[in-house]
Amino acid sequence: MSNLLHDPFVQSSVLPLLLGLVAVGVLHRLAPGRLLAVAGIGATFLAVFALVVGVPALPPPSSMGKVFWSVAGGFVLGVVADAVGVKGRAGSLLAAAWLAASLVWIALPALDTPVAFATLLVLLLVGACVVFGRTGSDDGQRGNAVAPAAVLLALALAVGGTALIGSSASIAQMALALAAATGGFLLWNWPVERHGWGVSGRVASGIAVLLAGVLALFTQTEAAVLLLALPALLAERVGRRLPLPDSGLGRAAGGAVVTVLTVLPALIAIGVAYLLGGAEASPY
Amino acid sequence: MKKTLFAAALFATAAMGALAPASAAPVTYKIDPAHLSVAFIVNHVGFSNVIGRFNTAAGDVTFDKDAVEKSAVNVSIDTASVDTNHAKRDDHLRSPDFFNAKEFPKLTFKSSKIEKTGAKTGKLYGDLTMLGVTKPVVLDVTFNNEGVSPASKLETVGFSARGTVKRTDFGMKYGAPAIGDEIQLLIEAEAVKA
Repeated sequence: MSNLLHDPFVQSSVLPLLLGLVAVGVLHRLAPGRLLAVAGIGATFLAVFALVVGVPALPPPSSMGKVFWSVAGGFVLGVVADAVGVKGRAGSLLAAAWLAASLVWIALPALDTPVAFATLLVLLLVGACVVFGRTGSDDGQRGNAVAPAAVLLALALAVGGTALIGSSASIAQMALALAAATGGFLLWNWPVERHGWGVSGRVASGIAVLLAGVLALFTQTEAAVLLLALPALLAERVGRRLPLPDSGLGRAAGGAVVTVLTVLPALIAIGVAYLLGGAEASPY
Repeated sequence: MKKTLFAAALFATAAMGALAPASAAPVTYKIDPAHLSVAFIVNHVGFSNVIGRFNTAAGDVTFDKDAVEKSAVNVSIDTASVDTNHAKRDDHLRSPDFFNAKEFPKLTFKSSKIEKTGAKTGKLYGDLTMLGVTKPVVLDVTFNNEGVSPASKLETVGFSARGTVKRTDFGMKYGAPAIGDEIQLLIEAEAVKA
């Protein structure tokens, strides 16, 4: 069992998927309303981080340590905001402030070249698109989480795959664990969308941006290929334009189609990263 | 009378000088990058040991040949210069998983004490700083030679050092223990008089 838990493949796929399913399920049972369940993604990310990388010291000496404590802070912020009913633009602004502060904190040691400043600017812009992205109705009265969860799935997969090819294993593991936890959340919302996205959901989306920041600023990975995954941000618009009937079957099919279409740009980004990396298949 | 007193004082001064132990002042040497090798050996998932090295380092040695324990060593290593003869693995070693070279570009060693254990051997105590964490380490050091090098014609001191550190003590936890936690260090250095 212990060996299984230390297997990198299990740590970044099966384990976070199961933990995500359980965490979302527990929050679904315990918390009133539909918004808090998505906090299961952040909780799973933190648990897997503690297992794979360890709980970093405070104050954290490295960028990955800053990611952990930023996510921990964002998790608390999201849960509290959703519990007290912060919604709409106020919720987006709260998540945006958290994400911007976290990105700047993480990026500070690397801001020694114009390229690094430009990278931070791009990350802030993408972060703004992620947290202010449309999620359909945000009133928590009916489920609207598939499109933003599909975006998070795509971004996390893109970061994880690119990091894996770029020889940054712990970033890859954590991003793939984030994708798997999001998969667990998506399973709870298919074929029927049960949950909202709320501030906790926007914070969860921000985790992918934070990992992309570490990848772009502190490794030699070709992180620019991640820009190819950005069409995934159009998931909600794609979902609204699908010519499907407004029935249970139609909505179930819509959720599946949106998820598949949203993941495609991420796969393209990973493919390009693979080609740029010399298409080297064997590890070392 | 004055001449006699002056001669006595001169004699006394000379005698005191002769009786005092000979003590050369410590001499500062600069480590010669062309003759500095900082290598490490780490176990790879139980199958073999990978040998790596750092290609860029600098430092100085304050050497007192009459009182070796008063000597001191400071070394600074560029973590981005890690080289294991495999470009992709070296990129990984520079990443946040291992040396995190962008955030922690230097790995430093500063000696605190040298203990003589033999005619040419000793224990070099000092602080190793890696990934922002400073821990005490002890290296077994051999003072190989000291004098004018026939190659460079410069005053040179040469030494070898061996030791072991646990990388997880410095927060480098990725892959441990499958990728060995204990790292063997091998240092060979020549330093020339500054």
